[in-house]
Order: sequence, then C-alpha cells, then structure tokens
Amino acid sequence: MMQKHLEKKESILKRGWWLILLILASLLAPFIFTEFYLNILCEALVMSLFALSFNLLFGYMGQLSFGQAAFFGLGGYAVAMLMTKVALNFWLSLLAGPILAALIGLIVGYFCVRLRGIYFSILTLAFGQLIFVIVFKWHNFTGGDDGIQGVFPPDFLKSATVYYYLILLVFLASAFILWRIIHSPFGQTMKAMRENSERTEFLGINIARYQLITFVIAAAFSGLAGAIWVPFYRSVAPGYLTWIKSGEPVMAAILGGSSTFFGPILGMFVMTFFHAYVLGFTHFWPVIMGTLILIIIFLLPGGVLGFIQEKLKERREREKQET
Amino acid sequence: MMFLQTQGITKEFGKLRAVNQVSLDIRKGDIHAIIGPNGAGKSTYFNLITGYHQATFGKVIFKGEEITHLPAFRRCKHGITRSFQITSIFPKLTVYESVLMGLLVHRGVTLNFFSTSKKFFEEEVYRILEDVGLADQADTLGDSISHGDKKRLELGITLGTEPELLLLDEPTCGMSPEETESTMIFIRKLVEEKGLTILFTEHDMSVVFGIAKRISVLHQGTLIADGKPDEVRANDEVQKIYLGGTA
Repeated sequence: MMQKHLEKKESILKRGWWLILLILASLLAPFIFTEFYLNILCEALVMSLFALSFNLLFGYMGQLSFGQAAFFGLGGYAVAMLMTKVALNFWLSLLAGPILAALIGLIVGYFCVRLRGIYFSILTLAFGQLIFVIVFKWHNFTGGDDGIQGVFPPDFLKSATVYYYLILLVFLASAFILWRIIHSPFGQTMKAMRENSERTEFLGINIARYQLITFVIAAAFSGLAGAIWVPFYRSVAPGYLTWIKSGEPVMAAILGGSSTFFGPILGMFVMTFFHAYVLGFTHFWPVIMGTLILIIIFLLPGGVLGFIQEKLKERREREKQET
Repeated sequence: MMFLQTQGITKEFGKLRAVNQVSLDIRKGDIHAIIGPNGAGKSTYFNLITGYHQATFGKVIFKGEEITHLPAFRRCKHGITRSFQITSIFPKLTVYESVLMGLLVHRGVTLNFFSTSKKFFEEEVYRILEDVGLADQADTLGDSISHGDKKRLELGITLGTEPELLLLDEPTCGMSPEETESTMIFIRKLVEEKGLTILFTEHDMSVVFGIAKRISVLHQGTLIADGKPDEVRANDEVQKIYLGGTA
C-alpha cells in the first residue's frame, strides 16, 4: 500500500513538470512579451477562467450551457457599476462580481437544472439573452448600448504588468479550486450524473440539487472572470452578455478537449492568440476559426488535449504489457 | 413490524392497469422472488417500491414508515437500493470509481468539495470489489468490461450504498451458467453474512427455485400466488398460466 502511494507521488512530479514549467514561464511573461501580447495574454487567462467554469457544466456535469456569458457579463457590470456609480472600493467590487453572478445563477439554474440535453441548452440561451436584453434596454441604469466607461483600477494596478500578475493570481487560485472540486467527492458525483443520472439518482442523489450547486459554482467563476477583466479593459459593454460571447467557451472546450481539465485553457489560448495574430492581416477571422474548428472536429474529435491524452494512455498501456 | 409491505398498490398507465392492488409482505432476511410471464407487472411493481413510478393508489410501507410518495433518492437514504433490468453502470468511470460512488453517497460525503475523492473508503471499495470478483479490473472503465462483469459491477455499485433491502431486476440475465452460479452463491452469502433482504425478479426458473425462500407470482398485474417455493410450485393456477404444467 505504502509503495503504491509513493509511486503515485513520484508520477505526479514526473507528469506535472510541464505545469511547473508553465507557471514559471507565466511569471516571467511580462519580461518576454511586448505590451501588446501581454494584453492578449491577460485576455487569454481571463477567458480561460471563463472556459474552465463553463466546462464544469459541459465537460464534467454533461450539460451544455449556451448562456454562460450572461454571468461573465453580470460579473463585469457589477464591478463597473459599483466602482463608477457608488465609488465602492475596488476589491469589494471585485468580490461583488461573482456574488451577483452566483445569485442570478441560483435563480436561472433553479429552472434550467430541471431539463436535460438540448432543452437545458435552449433554456440557458433564453435566460442569457433575457439578461442581455435587460442590460441593453435599461439605459438609465446600465448605460444601455453605451456600456460603462472609465472603470479604473487603483493606481498601483494601472500598469498592464502589475494587473497581469493580479489576473494570473486570480486565475491560478480559481483553477486550483476548480481542480480540487472536480477531484472531490462532489466532483465525482458530477461525473456520475453525467455518465448516468438515473443510476446516480437511484443511489440516493437529488439530481436537481446537485446540478443546481454546480450551476451556481460555474456562474460564480464566470462572474469572477468578467469582474477581473473589466477594470483591466477600463470599460464594459452589453456585448459581453450575448450568445456570441457564450459560444467562445463552447468552441474553446471543443478545440482543447472538454474531457480534460486543461483542454478549455489550451483552446482559449489558441483562439485568443490566433485571433490577435490573424487580425493583423485579415478581417476574415471567423472563416479561419471555423475552418480550425472543422479540422479539430473531424480529425481530433476529443479535442487537442483529449487526443494527446488518449495517445499517452495507449502508450502507457503498451509499456505496461511489455514489462 | 413488517419489513416491507405493499398495501393494495396499483399503477395505471392510461387505461392499462399494470399493477393491480398488490398486497404483499416481505420479511427481513428473506430472498424473495417475484415471477410472472412477460408483462405481468414485475418491473412496474419494482418501480413502485423504489420510486421510479408513483403509485396511482395504495401504500408502500418500509420499516413502519410510509414511503409511497417519497422521491427515489430519499428511498435510497432509507436503505432501499436497486439494480436495473438493462444493466445500468457508469460507462466512463472506472470500476473502482463506480463502486466508490455508492459509498460516497451512503456515507454522506458527496457535499465535500475539497478532499480528494479517491482517498475515501479505499478498504471498503476493495472489499466490495473482491466480493463481486472485480478487484483485478479496478482501473478499467465500466464500458470496457464483459457483460457479466457489468452486471456484477452494478451489484457492486448498489452494495456501496450498504442497503438493507436490495431489489435486483433480473440479476443473472445474459450471464453464462458459471457466472449465474457464482452470482447465486454471492446473493445467498449477502443474505447470510450481511443480513440483507433481497427482492428479485428472474426469468431463469432454476435460479428462482434455487435461491428464493419465498416466491410471489404476478399475472396481468395481479398477485395470484405467494408462498414457499414448494407451495408455489404446487399451486394449480400457477401451473396453468405460468409454469405450463412442466415444472
């Protein structure tokens, strides 16, 4: 037994080296990247957090939310409005983002978790668009289609480099928490519901309740992503809440591999950097992105990381058989 | 106090009465078989006890408490767990994780968000895996094991919830004769060693008469016989409509 545990520990170090390397590299990023690409890196990290929260529902609970941007946007609006309208402290405003998103997530989720499959997706889409329309039309409260400008972080956070470290910190802490949740007994229950909700229910799990909790957690982290982004971008607009924005984590998860924890992060990085790069010489970005998605779906149906994971597993099994 | 009792339980689907006023007592520690031809209402009767369907009228009483209108997941908390006729497992969870799931639910730790789930109940999981003979496939995915093993895995999953009453819907369906034999021995062991009560349906009469201590016969939703295997075997009506006079 002891031997087994030791072996496990060793293999984590062996297999986790790339993660340690990536975190070290990300600490050095401001010294390597130009300011333009540092900004893109910030966006990629924020959107990755958004994609991770989305994948909690999609990859782990097995339900496709198509209105996740509503929570991202709500987080952003909470920060923007609290900071500009009531001049609330930056940190408290930041905290209010996920809290508001979670509260609205509780209400929206209450209705959505009663449905499965396409009906769940359509209802999340409908709620998402409903929230968007409220923000868009309620001009004298939210600023309507003008959005809100002039959302400035405190002075010491105004430089992109310093704010980058704040984003990195929030991202790493959130990713760590989400990782722990996925590997906890609650996470195991999420996966069981995805695999066979009937079997799970007949073991004694109240499916609606557990799906609602997952929905609220996902909403909170989407809200946090929106909340941390807006002061960096200095403004918020209703576009953040639309279904187009909701589609981004869907594509990132498919691109990177929704069955893996890091897949959506990889997908979002590829999308964000590719987007920034392609826009430098053409406006036909959607055509290129569409082609990329098609290639992935036809050639690597599990996404990039899903494919790699599969290959690694095959290799490990071959090695095991040979020894 | 009766262990499990159904009182005049009835289920109607539109005009069809799938289960018609079935009153039955199941005693603690029994291996109780429900038999009957196809469409007799065996599965529906199971579904009424486990909460898959809600009764149109009648009562289900478990250990003196009425559970007729409780949702399925609450009945599990009371100690009633079931297997399904069409094997119901977790295809992309490993055999180990699947059995662990039942234990996590039963021991009430599923709202733990921060500990590593695999650190829980390792001994208990392996004990169950050894009991059902799947210990050497602990790390295999549920959908990559053989059909007979899947049946045994489902049994293992249900045992994780440490039930008092276990309902098995055709537990040996599709198994080889050897697998059937070992499953029968295992079921008997569960009752003798762990004090479980088993209610099961089965097509294979050698299994039914091999392990059941009591047998109830359903025909077109109605209970037509109930008693010890010998009594049921000798019952004229059962002979006529079900056993075809050959048993």
